[in-house]
Amino acid sequence: MDLVRQTLLRTLIPAAILVAIAILVMRYGQPYQIRVGYVFFINLTMVVGLQIFMGNSGTASFGHAAFSGIAAYTVAILMTPLMLKRTLIPDAPFNLDQVVLGPIPSIILALLVTGVVAYVVGLAISRLKGVGAEIGTLAFLVIVHVVFTNWIELFRGPRAFYGIPIISNLWWGLGASIIAVFVAKLFRDSKYGVQLRASSDNMLAAKAMGVPVDRLRLIAWTLSGIVVGAGGVLLATNLGTIAPTSFYFNQTFLMMAMLLLGGMRSVSGAVCGTIVIALGSEITRTLESGPVLLGIDFPEMFGLTGFFLGAVIVLVMAFRREGILAGEEFEDIWDDMTRRLRRDKAPAAALDER
Amino acid sequence: MEYVIQQAINALSVGGEYALLALGLAIVFSIMNLVNFAHGELITLGGYAMFFAAATFVGNPVLLLPICVLTAVVAAMLFERIAFRPVRNAPATTGLLTAFGVSIVIQNALVIFVATRPKPVPVPSWMQGTMSFGGFNLPVVQILETGATVCAVAGLVLLLTRTNLGLAMRAAAKDFTVVRLMGIQANRVILGAFAVSGFLAGLAAVFILARRGAVDPLMGFTPVLKAFVACVLGGFGSLLGAAAGGLVLGILEVVLQATLPSDVAGFRDAIVFLLVGAALIWRPTGLLGTRAELGDKE
Repeated sequence: MDLVRQTLLRTLIPAAILVAIAILVMRYGQPYQIRVGYVFFINLTMVVGLQIFMGNSGTASFGHAAFSGIAAYTVAILMTPLMLKRTLIPDAPFNLDQVVLGPIPSIILALLVTGVVAYVVGLAISRLKGVGAEIGTLAFLVIVHVVFTNWIELFRGPRAFYGIPIISNLWWGLGASIIAVFVAKLFRDSKYGVQLRASSDNMLAAKAMGVPVDRLRLIAWTLSGIVVGAGGVLLATNLGTIAPTSFYFNQTFLMMAMLLLGGMRSVSGAVCGTIVIALGSEITRTLESGPVLLGIDFPEMFGLTGFFLGAVIVLVMAFRREGILAGEEFEDIWDDMTRRLRRDKAPAAALDER
Repeated sequence: MEYVIQQAINALSVGGEYALLALGLAIVFSIMNLVNFAHGELITLGGYAMFFAAATFVGNPVLLLPICVLTAVVAAMLFERIAFRPVRNAPATTGLLTAFGVSIVIQNALVIFVATRPKPVPVPSWMQGTMSFGGFNLPVVQILETGATVCAVAGLVLLLTRTNLGLAMRAAAKDFTVVRLMGIQANRVILGAFAVSGFLAGLAAVFILARRGAVDPLMGFTPVLKAFVACVLGGFGSLLGAAAGGLVLGILEVVLQATLPSDVAGFRDAIVFLLVGAALIWRPTGLLGTRAELGDKE
């Protein structure tokens, strides 16, 4: 209980930043900025979810975009009105074309399905170590994508699934991302998180100390899958249209760049990286469309955003491997700063006494 | 009978292609612990080199083949020099993520500067045909590919066992520090490993392009993913494992392709990966991998 209270306190700094962003966007933003703000909160939820696994286990995952897809499609299939479903997926298996649920049960079920899938996949992934596990996550992403695009009766294949009731707005995104930050911090500071982080520093030593590495990796994997799934739910219930490509490579490397830039070892790093990349990719998106700036007519350049995201990953890995925050949380930095201030004062006080 | 032979040679050529790519990945990984995610981009760059060479100064399609291989070798060495040297002594995950970034950069650079749509690549017309072999009609590409794989693997074995560089590479896979203490330059060994891996990728690229007949920025991903899976299946870092893993994967794919009913044929890759996953639950370190003990090279 003590840990929960402390974590609540520690969530205050990132929560305050996020609330400030949300209020700013809602008060001064045009519909376009509000949309960008919403996408920011979706991505933030997913990146913080990804941090739970990557940051604690030290293993990169390329597969988490698949979890957002699983949750998004579950919500879509459960919540879309019957009339529409009859035209979208008339031959759905398990009579799913005749079932429709309210928003809350749909969302809960979506997170549950994502959690179960994550657990089952995690049974295999958590057994593999290092590079093998990382490539396993990549294979998982491809498997899920293949299923989305080929199981036409259930997912409409490569075509978009549209008509999902639009129920969420920016405040949902804000709430979800604050909860995600809280969950991630709670896990990071819990016994499990500390043990798992120890195992990522030295697997054999942690095992020798009795850390149940496989089980902890499984827990982190499942939990992070569910949180990323929550991001997928937000996406489906705000855009109203989803397609398999929304949950494939572009999403994977967007999340990866955000997490790595901020520093995957801390939740604050995830928040920080997401903010910077979200701002940066707005700029590159403007450049991509070939604007006229300062009298110069820039050509259209598709792929510029991707180019910059890749470059960010390479440069961060080469020059600042631990990311902007280098694995520190906001409160660590705050503590450091106050301590340094106090230390600066201390010698002066000592002189006075003499 | 003809069908069986055709499928067998098909399996060998597909398996050979994966083995070539997997060997390239494994040789780099065994020495410097780097999973080269950008390995697939060597194929893509080789393909674009063929496209540009054909469009500008090369008339004879046969000359395009060495250009493709050479480009892949040079590109692999450039990757090492520019992107991978700063992360040389980093943990494997750092290297993997760097290579992932490199791969995205190259893909998008090609999208920006060339085009998203596929570009045609001319290949010699005799490669497209079939030849009759002991009474059976077999596609030339597949026979060539099988043959080239065998030659390349034999050449690799000779390089590794008969030359100083090869000896240094094999030793570096065990303990790089001692190799450097023996007065061997680290840069030379690593550059050599990248050159070999680029050569193997270029060779595979020739056959991949001969089959596809076109090049696009994202084409490198699928083959390299298969090579990854082959490496994991064989045990990451083991050269023999990479070759065996590639061959097994190719055979598995062709068998499934031939036996799956058409309405589930789209799921082939998913089924293959699931089977590999199942094999890994049984043997988490791969078919020929070894368990890490304390004090091993990490």
